[in-house]
Amino acid sequence: MIDTPHRTPVGRVVATELKPATPHQFNFWTAVETAIGIGAIVKVEGGGAGDGERVVFGVVTDAVAYSDLQTPLHDVIGAEGDPSRAAESPTVRQEIRLWTAAVLRQEPEEPLQPVPLAEVFVATDADVARALRMETYLHSALPTAIPVGLYTSGGLESPVYLDAEFLLGPEAAHLNISGVSGLATKTSAVEFLLSSIFQTFPAHRGKVAAVCFNVKGPDLCFLDRPGALDDEDRRRYQRLGLEAQPFERVRYFAPFKADGVNLNTLRTHPDLVHDVEPLVWGLAEVLDFAEVLLNRDDIDAKADAFIDFLADRVMGRKFDDGFGGEHEVRSFADLDRLFRAIFDGLEAAGGGRGDMWRTHHIATIRKVRNRLSNISTRCKGLVTDDGQPNDLPWGKFEDRTVYVVDLANVDPLGQDLVFARVVSKLREHLEKQSLGVGTVAVFVDELNKYAPADGPETYVKKMLLDISERGRYLGLVLFGAEQFRSQVHRRVVGNAGTQVFGRMDSDELATPGYQVLSPATKIKLATLPVGELMVRHPHFTQPIFVRFPRPAVLRGRDGIERFPPVPDLAFEDAIARQLVGLDRRVKPNQVKDLIADREEEDVRRALAETRRKRAEDPFAYFRKALGGRVRPQAPRERDGVPPLNPISDEPY
Amino acid sequence: MSGAWWDAVVQAGAVRASFVPPAAEGRAADPDREVSLADVVEGDELGIHAVTPRPAPRAVTFLDGIEQWKVVGYDGVTPLVRARVAVAARRRAGDRRLATLAEDSRDFAVVPLDQLSPSCRAALQASDADVVDLREAPAGQPGAALDLARRAVDTARAELEKAIGEECAAGLGPDEWLVVDGLLSVSTVLARHPRVLGVIKSHGAQFFEGRHLERALTLPAAHRTSVFRVRGGHARTEVYSWYLRLWPWEGNDLLYGLVRVEAAPGAGALAGADAVSGWLARERAPLSTPDARFDRLLYPIHDVEQYLRARAPRDFFPGARTRLPRTGT
Repeated sequence: MIDTPHRTPVGRVVATELKPATPHQFNFWTAVETAIGIGAIVKVEGGGAGDGERVVFGVVTDAVAYSDLQTPLHDVIGAEGDPSRAAESPTVRQEIRLWTAAVLRQEPEEPLQPVPLAEVFVATDADVARALRMETYLHSALPTAIPVGLYTSGGLESPVYLDAEFLLGPEAAHLNISGVSGLATKTSAVEFLLSSIFQTFPAHRGKVAAVCFNVKGPDLCFLDRPGALDDEDRRRYQRLGLEAQPFERVRYFAPFKADGVNLNTLRTHPDLVHDVEPLVWGLAEVLDFAEVLLNRDDIDAKADAFIDFLADRVMGRKFDDGFGGEHEVRSFADLDRLFRAIFDGLEAAGGGRGDMWRTHHIATIRKVRNRLSNISTRCKGLVTDDGQPNDLPWGKFEDRTVYVVDLANVDPLGQDLVFARVVSKLREHLEKQSLGVGTVAVFVDELNKYAPADGPETYVKKMLLDISERGRYLGLVLFGAEQFRSQVHRRVVGNAGTQVFGRMDSDELATPGYQVLSPATKIKLATLPVGELMVRHPHFTQPIFVRFPRPAVLRGRDGIERFPPVPDLAFEDAIARQLVGLDRRVKPNQVKDLIADREEEDVRRALAETRRKRAEDPFAYFRKALGGRVRPQAPRERDGVPPLNPISDEPY
Repeated sequence: MSGAWWDAVVQAGAVRASFVPPAAEGRAADPDREVSLADVVEGDELGIHAVTPRPAPRAVTFLDGIEQWKVVGYDGVTPLVRARVAVAARRRAGDRRLATLAEDSRDFAVVPLDQLSPSCRAALQASDADVVDLREAPAGQPGAALDLARRAVDTARAELEKAIGEECAAGLGPDEWLVVDGLLSVSTVLARHPRVLGVIKSHGAQFFEGRHLERALTLPAAHRTSVFRVRGGHARTEVYSWYLRLWPWEGNDLLYGLVRVEAAPGAGALAGADAVSGWLARERAPLSTPDARFDRLLYPIHDVEQYLRARAPRDFFPGARTRLPRTGT
């Protein structure tokens, strides 16, 4: 197919005093048997006197059908009360299919006039491009068109494109996708669109990458693996001018589990786990985002000042605690030693200064200490007490690469921390233009959870608002997904230049945010098949329905079946596997022999150091780090510190 | 309408008018209000036969016509009538939907030419209008002229129906039928065709007296009378006929749901009366509401009429809720 001109009219515009044609809406009738449906794009052409040159494009938003039956009672009488006899009537009543269409575009655009009472045609490929104003970015000298799917109606299958300038900035930006779980194919749609962006993002717009937070199941764990496609999918890819292939460059990051050696991800199959990099942060990485980890009630001016003091004056430098001790705080363990020294010093000092240290009240210090020490417990595996951090490749992001941060099994607090820090670092580097790419799409699912319309002003919500409102200037673009759009912060969804809807929940559609949609469009949204979406884009004056092929990547469920995750390994096996992941020449038995009878903390530190250095011979470096440079640390004390002043009412 | 004949006549001195007589909104009733004689040909006397509904033939064409006329001007007191008749035949086949098979219309002027002033007459003749001359109209009697105009329009409609009907009858396939709204006997071709039926809703002509008339007019629902022969005359062709009750009349009126069917005379009509009646009984549904004659008006005929009215010029129809007082001769 499919670019065959359809010159036979399928309908005719009608207007009455009660249902007039206006500059923005018109009605037309068709034969009873017609390919027109809700969402179809039509062209009105060849009007009456004075309207000969005017061409109007519209999208069908509603439809009615009725017959010449005056009252249902007459049908009952005609069938003598027997429904089965109604079908025996020799003649079918005259009936009408009357369609309502919203105007997409008028040519000429000025003067804007009511739609002429003219013939209605099914739109062709070229008509669809004109109707959606796509020619400005599809056929310009520097095209910025990103295929988003196929408009299919009336036997037509036309590619629909988004404008990169309005999807990824700077004119507008952000994409929000809503729909019920399981049927709206939100994740698939984002995967497909990211693939489309990577394949068609214009070179003159620079480099682009994506950061995807995997917050549930194995959804994003197999983006580099080909998935099953049928011929229809391949044909759609071909029609869209895209290659049906998985992402070429994907980098996976996942924190460790609490044991510190097994990765907390479902991508642990031996064939795949080697390219999952651990996400490990230390005190320095966490301290800047302590606000994320503390309850809002905890953050008062005093605590905030003390945290700032720690970050500015203590972290990473030699520091005199005022009681004769000198500290160099680089880890949680170091920090805890400092706290204990302070408490001991204050207790020993007694007298009138027993509850103040460096202008900070002992209660404030205790509060901050308790919260920070909790972090390494609640986010164990992500936050290391003592060791080398391993982070995303800040400054070295690569073009058309997906960075998946797997947080599916991480404590919600840890998810917040990761999200806040990653986005902050992205923003920081994009502001300095030092990330390695100029544009980053950040995919965040479950916006209902992270940016709810109601609820407390969390740090994560503030970050999402910040991206939504200022991100487009930086090249930081939010691709957000949620089940209930009405329950996401309105500034987050409102700032999304492109809005996509999969199958929607009827209750959700009854909320005020959907009042602009016709009842028929709502019904269509409530019954959308898998793979079909409704798209709103700044260039489109009305929502458009498109179909997209299945993403050419292995679906999470299929991936789990094909690459089942392995059970957690014993400590020595996990260490060996990670070293093998760094260098396939490493023999597991050599590793096991080397780490036998060694302290696990030492081994972890040596492994972290080896990974950080990325030495040419990882095993040799690991052996060196384990034997020479890594000293065992004193066991960490978990005992609570007794209050210095028993009389104090301070609950901390 | 610019350039129409009545504009020319008005420019020649006539006074513009716009009046749709009530009688112009429908066709005239059957002209034969007399008692016609008929002979029962099915049995010895007029009997009553139960009808079992049967499927309709595979393909049936329905024919009907409409007539419209209005006074568009007066030359003195002589009415100038604009008339239009239209006829359509719509065929129903396997999909049970009606599609137009043939249609025709005629727009014409109905005026007593002799009574027009020379200037108006010249203007009318120069306009190239199709004119029906009311030669018999009495001078200075607009009411009588309008009555004659109505008859002229009625005749024009009947002629057009006859022409289209005969054309359709000639083209009928072996299993196809033609149902005409009205008398068959006006056309020899139609009256002789074995698969052409006339369905008459109005009962101006009575064929029986006494107990036969009572039987005919009190037919129970889903029953028919015996077939009888309607004798021909100078303008009529002999046909076979029978009464058929579509809906129960009790609680309504004697004529409620009563139609008279005409068919070509012969053994075929006698043998097929039950089958044809069963089929026509099935045509009760769908109801042809909102037409007030729905009890006798077959829906396909109603459909043809609606089709013709939908295509008729709008200015023939009086406004449903005109803001001005309705006046007239």
